[in-house]
This record gives sequence, structure tokens and C-alpha cells, in this order.
Amino acid sequence: MFANSMAGLALGVTLIGAAALADDITVDTAQGQVTIPQSPSPLAVFDLSAVDTLTALGVTVDGMPSPSYLDYLAPVAETAEPVGTLFEPDFEALARMAPGLIIVGARSAAQIEPLSQLAPTIDMSIWGDDQIGQVHARLAAYGEIFGHEAEASALANALDDKIAQAAAAADGKGNGLILLTNGGKMSAYGADSRFGWIHHALNLPEAQPGLSSETHGQGVSFEFLAEVDPDWLLVIDRGAAIGQAGEAAQATLDNKLVAGTKAARNGHIVYLDAGRIYVAGGGVQSMMGTLDELIAAFSDTDS
Amino acid sequence: MKGPVFTGLILLVLVGLSLSIGVASVTSGDLSVSLLMWVSRVPRTCAALLAGAGLALAGVVVQQAVQNRFVEPGLTGTSEAAMLGLLGITLLAPGAAVGWKMTVAACAAMVGTGGFLWLARHVPRSDPMLLPLVGLIYAGILGAALMWVAWMTDLMQYVGIWRLGEFSGIVQGRYELLWIIAGLGILLYVLADRFTLLGLGEDQARSLGLDYGQTRTLGLVMVAAITAVVVVTVGAFPFVGLVVPNIVSRWRGDNLRANLPLIAAGGAGLVLAADILGRLIVFPYEIPAATIFAVFGSAVFLWLLFAAPERRRG
Repeated sequence: MFANSMAGLALGVTLIGAAALADDITVDTAQGQVTIPQSPSPLAVFDLSAVDTLTALGVTVDGMPSPSYLDYLAPVAETAEPVGTLFEPDFEALARMAPGLIIVGARSAAQIEPLSQLAPTIDMSIWGDDQIGQVHARLAAYGEIFGHEAEASALANALDDKIAQAAAAADGKGNGLILLTNGGKMSAYGADSRFGWIHHALNLPEAQPGLSSETHGQGVSFEFLAEVDPDWLLVIDRGAAIGQAGEAAQATLDNKLVAGTKAARNGHIVYLDAGRIYVAGGGVQSMMGTLDELIAAFSDTDS
Repeated sequence: MKGPVFTGLILLVLVGLSLSIGVASVTSGDLSVSLLMWVSRVPRTCAALLAGAGLALAGVVVQQAVQNRFVEPGLTGTSEAAMLGLLGITLLAPGAAVGWKMTVAACAAMVGTGGFLWLARHVPRSDPMLLPLVGLIYAGILGAALMWVAWMTDLMQYVGIWRLGEFSGIVQGRYELLWIIAGLGILLYVLADRFTLLGLGEDQARSLGLDYGQTRTLGLVMVAAITAVVVVTVGAFPFVGLVVPNIVSRWRGDNLRANLPLIAAGGAGLVLAADILGRLIVFPYEIPAATIFAVFGSAVFLWLLFAAPERRRG
């Protein structure tokens, strides 16, 4: 009798397991293939580019970090539960929420171990090489997880169209240098860096090839800008990215050495919307927005 | 007078190097040489010289005031306090003029240094290493408060810039406040004898007719002002104020009036050398001069601790 009921219990457990498995799917993440339940709910996301892309797909984000910094994500932030900061999860808030899936990104990837103990956690960082390819991969994975495949492929096509448009606008317009300003200091970023996808998307030659791919770029001086003399200067103001009014990028670059560069003389210094590209870089909306800015800048010239 | 001549020559060579090394080419570029020199090279060289001289002088004043050779503005909470002040004004009035930011930073630095001097009164003098340790902990606590505020307000990287002094952002119009240091240096030279007496300790200094409290306060104000100017314009440089006065006194003894020019020149030369190295190692990019100096400075600090302890003063 006892043995029978144990067998029945074992069978039942196996059946439940099988039922759960039927709903599980395997998706590509930044840390390889991971099997997770389909259409998990509620959903906690510790990465603003992921929030960006998920929102674009029409997926409801139930928990996200605060502050969110980005105006266009403010409506999401209003309805979503705050679950800590970009770097530090609020484990108590998360435990109350009991998420079905947690998504981490570049800034929160270090927290994947402790978060995994609470709920299935996937790392959807967009970092390093081939970021545009990664954006496509994440988009496809999100589509699969939440059953929004049609929206995902529509967005992927829209992104490809925008990239083609930007490449056409930048074609034959010379080289460029991506510069991040932070207070009065500057660093330059190359094609392998976190902002390097701009070079790839636009087929924009690097004004200074060989910049390393360090997270915080390469410290450079104004003399460096004068000597490299780029045709285009794409400026990201880190202070503005996190909503901090300080020494603005324009003030930093306002000197005779910068004024002598081709970029400055031809009015080709492009101040990108820093919050978008710095905080949510790799998000589909963020990327399309940045591409729109670049298309506008590169089209608005006859040089 | 061999020493000063030797030091002067080295300084001249360094200045020459600094003026001739840069990313832009002096001989072949499209830039006019005079533009390059006046907008970039000369300001950068002056900034390194002034910051180095100022920090070394601030170090010597602090050392006299607490009668301990192993302290400097970075080990007395002065830099951290200046940064706290700077962070405060950045949060409350982000658009404030540089002059105001500096004033607030200087006032905060003064309060911070005052706190250290108060602590110093209560630290037993039996072991000369005790005071630097207390200073280290005090600076650590202020630094932790700074980090906490920066963390809460997402200004970590911004504060990171002040903690790591460098000169890559220096061009004409961005460093002129540092000339205040030149003025303070001259004042210090005029008052050198007073500060020598200060170094004898309160009882002896008073019996020799020194207004001890007033001189000490004056020293505190000077140290705070120098530290604030340097932090606001180029960022903090640890070890300069510690290493330079110690090297000079090992070499030349303790005549403050004779040593002050050497201490100023030594600080100026070492910081300029660190900046030149930082520009060369990863040319055409840059490594912060403070990083270079910290490597050198920690080595010298260890040497000071272990190699020749017989000349310490309690």
C-alpha cells in the first residue's frame, strides 16, 4: 500500500515535471543557451536596454530599477515596481514580487548568482563585439519567450531599414570619432567599444584607428582632437546622460584647439542624446533614436 | 649652492620636455606653433608645476603644524573634505561659477583639516606612526561619506575624476586659478621662520614669542586653500606632500627658509615628470599623472618607513 502510493507520487512528480518541461523554451543569452519557462510573469528587469526593447515589443515590465533616467521609459517606470538600482537589486522588494523571470544586463550581470536563487535569471547584456547582431539575437529571444515573434521580426526589419538609411546618409561624408565627455575630461571610443556599433552601422571610418575597447574609453587631450582632426565628432555627454547638470559638453569643447578641427569648422560636431545611448545603449528604441539623430546630422549637409 | 642649481637644471629640462611633448606635432602640423604653445602646452606645464609645488608646500605646513613628518593633506582628510564640499555645491548649485565652487571646497577643506588638528591633539606622541594612522582612518571615514553621497546621487564617476588628478583637460582658461598657489607660496616664504617655530611644538614656540594659535590657523587656511584649488582644477594627488618634504629634509636638513624653494621645485618637478610619463606611456592617449605618481609615491613612502627610521621625529 505504502509502496503503491509512493509509486503514484513519483509518477505524479514526473508528470508535473513533464508538464513544466513542455512549457519551457531554450533561448540564447549572453551566457549561452538557457532553458526557462515560457511567458513568465511577473517580470523583473535590471537593464534599461532590455526594458526599452521589451516595451517596444509590447511586453509588460512589472519590476525595473529606479531611477530610470530616461524620459521615454518614464511611463513604464510609473507602472512598474521599483526593485533596486541598476547595480544593486532590492532583494526584499523582489521576494515580495516573486518574479517568474529576472533579466539582468551589463551593469547588473554581476548579480546573476544571488538573483538566480530567487527566480530563473537570464543575462541579456549587449556588450563587446557585434552589438547589432546581439540586439537582433535579444529581440528574437524576447519574441520567443513572450510569444511576440511577429512584433520582434517587425522591429528587427525596422532596425535594419534604419541602419541602411543611416549608412546611406553617412556614405562618403568622411571619418568620425566618438567622444565621451565627463566634466572637463574626455575619452575616445573606437569601433570595438561599447559605442562602436555606430561605426559599424554607418560604415563610418574611424578617425583614429586602434582605440582600445576599454569600458571607459581612452583618456585623450584637446591636442589629440586637434591632431586627429576628425571630419565628424560624435559627442556623448556623460553628465547629461544621468540627468546631472554640470559642465556641459559644449563648454568642455569650447576652445581654440577644438575650434580648429574640420568637424568644428564644418559644423559637424554632433551632440547625441546622451541618456539614450549611454544608459540604454542596445535597446531597440534607444538605437533607433540614436540612428535618427545620426541620419538627421549626416543628411543635413552637402559636403 | 650646488643643490639648488642642480634642481633648477632638472626643472628646466622637464619644462623643455613638457613643452615639446604632445599629441599635436609642433613642426609638421597644420596648427600654428604659437597657438599650440599658448593654448595647450604652456598652460599644461604651468598647471603641473603649480599643482606640484602647492601640494608639496601644503605638505610641509601640515607636517610643521602637527610636528609629524608622515602626514600630508591626503592623510589628514583635507582632500576628502574639499571633495565633499565640491560635491555638495555640485548637488545644490550645479551651475555655480568656479570661484564659488572653490570657495566652498576650501571652506570644507578647512573644516576637515580642523577636525584632524583636533584629533591630533588627543593622539599620544609616543609613536610617530600613530598620527598618520589616525589621519588615514579619518580620511577614510570622510572618503566613505563622500562615496556614499556620490553613490546615492549617481555621481561616482564624477567624483572619480577628482580623486585622480590629471592634466589632460587643461587648456588656456582652465587652470588660471592655480596661480593662487604662487601667491600663497610667496606668503609662506615670507613667514617661513614662523612655521619653523611652529614645528618646535606649542610650549617652545610660545616661549620664543610666537602667536601659536594664530600661526597654526594661518597654516590651516593656506593648506585648505591650496588643496581646494588643486582639487577643483586638476583633482587630488596623493603622496606629493608627503614624499617631497621628506626627501628634501633628508638631503638638506631642516632649515625651512632654505628648503622651501627646493620643496616647491621638487613637488613641481615630480608632478610634471609624472605628467610627462603619463603622456608618453600610452601615446597618443593618456594615463592620469596621479596614477603614475601614486606608484612612485608609495614606493618612496615605504622607503621612508623602512630604510632610514633613525631621523623620525616624535
